[in-house]
Amino acid sequence: MKFLCVVCDTPMRLERAEPPKDGSITAVFECPECFHQIAMLTNPMETQAVTSLGVQIGPGAAERAAAGGCPFSGMINEMEEKPLRMPWTREALDRLAKIPDFVRPMAKDSIEQFARQQGHDEVSEQVMDEARGLFGM
Amino acid sequence: MKTYFDVQGDGGSGIVAQVTAQREAMTAALAGVRHVVLIGSGKGGVGKSTATMALGQSLRRRGKTVAILDADLNGPCQAQMAGLEGAPWVPGLRGLAIPRRRDGLGVVSCGSFLEGAASLELPSVAQGDEHVWRATRELTTLGQLVASIDWGSLDVLLVDLPPGTESTRQHAAFLGPRVVLVLLTIPTDVARGVVARSLAALRRDRAVVLGQIENMAGYYHRAEERILPLFPPPRRGELELPLLGRIPFDPELARLCDAGWPSDAELSPPPGLEEATDNLLQALAAAEITA
Ligand SMILES: [Zn+2]
Repeated sequence: MKFLCVVCDTPMRLERAEPPKDGSITAVFECPECFHQIAMLTNPMETQAVTSLGVQIGPGAAERAAAGGCPFSGMINEMEEKPLRMPWTREALDRLAKIPDFVRPMAKDSIEQFARQQGHDEVSEQVMDEARGLFGM
Repeated sequence: MKTYFDVQGDGGSGIVAQVTAQREAMTAALAGVRHVVLIGSGKGGVGKSTATMALGQSLRRRGKTVAILDADLNGPCQAQMAGLEGAPWVPGLRGLAIPRRRDGLGVVSCGSFLEGAASLELPSVAQGDEHVWRATRELTTLGQLVASIDWGSLDVLLVDLPPGTESTRQHAAFLGPRVVLVLLTIPTDVARGVVARSLAALRRDRAVVLGQIENMAGYYHRAEERILPLFPPPRRGELELPLLGRIPFDPELARLCDAGWPSDAELSPPPGLEEATDNLLQALAAAEITA
């Protein structure tokens, strides 16, 4: 979908987008020439179509996605970062930061769960190495 | 007034560019994998997961570097069978490290990744229409997961596909032109009919189908080293597709898979498995020359 300013025949630019609310996305387009604005309001079917593609919506979305941004951020709150449930060392957090956003919340949960099962009260690089040793990783 | 094709880009979100980037990330993650082999059937309940596990182990015995990707997002089946269900998702060199069995067979279950994290339930805003987007959503999630894993260099990645004719076809298309398929069937009329439909659809899409493996070709009695009949002979003829092998139902193999493969358990291969593996490797080598 593209938007054209009927007043001056200039392609409109996405000005801002709001995350889905009650199944609808609100996106405001603006003409860079005459600053005419319009709002696009999606219906639930259209919202599903976009969210199922796992893409980001909003100005500069492609750049954010390329930088490893979570595709669902601002779109669906399901992959929301949960707070840490046990202490992590700086080094362990640095290592976690190296994996894509998309899998990080799940990785964090599973490592904490593993650490607890192994009787640790802190997640360190040693805990991760222990897991790698145990599971041949 | 300008037309759609006169206007460059989509005004800011670059949705097409993002979808392309997702595909590229997936392709890049699999760059070190020599053969991506999808194991599909179209028909559920043909013992596909167990057969995939057996094939993976058999390839390992030949010294191949192998991993299994369980593409079924609805259950941690392969990880469970491999006894790797409790493996945490730990950062590797450039993504998540692959958990491996003691024999070195790597196993990644999409289901075990999603378990506890977000389920694939879509926001319930378009009641009754969820199914329209579910396939897209599941494939997108699979693609993102594949892109997030440190596959390293592998000889073979076996992808255990979810059941369903349409799903088999969608996965083959989604995972790209370099994948090849092996169809698993069982000697019954119903299974042969369903797999034939899968095959026809895949051929229309120009997917490369290397051959078929007939699973549950009899019942393997280990103590007596005999294969007993399991199904009455089907009336429907065999598929017009090279037969890579016939593997009987092996209750011991099924039991070990069910029990999460205890780490000290060893099992000699059921008859037909090694031959199927050899034929698969030959077919892969031949496909590589043709490609
Ligand atoms: Zn204008």
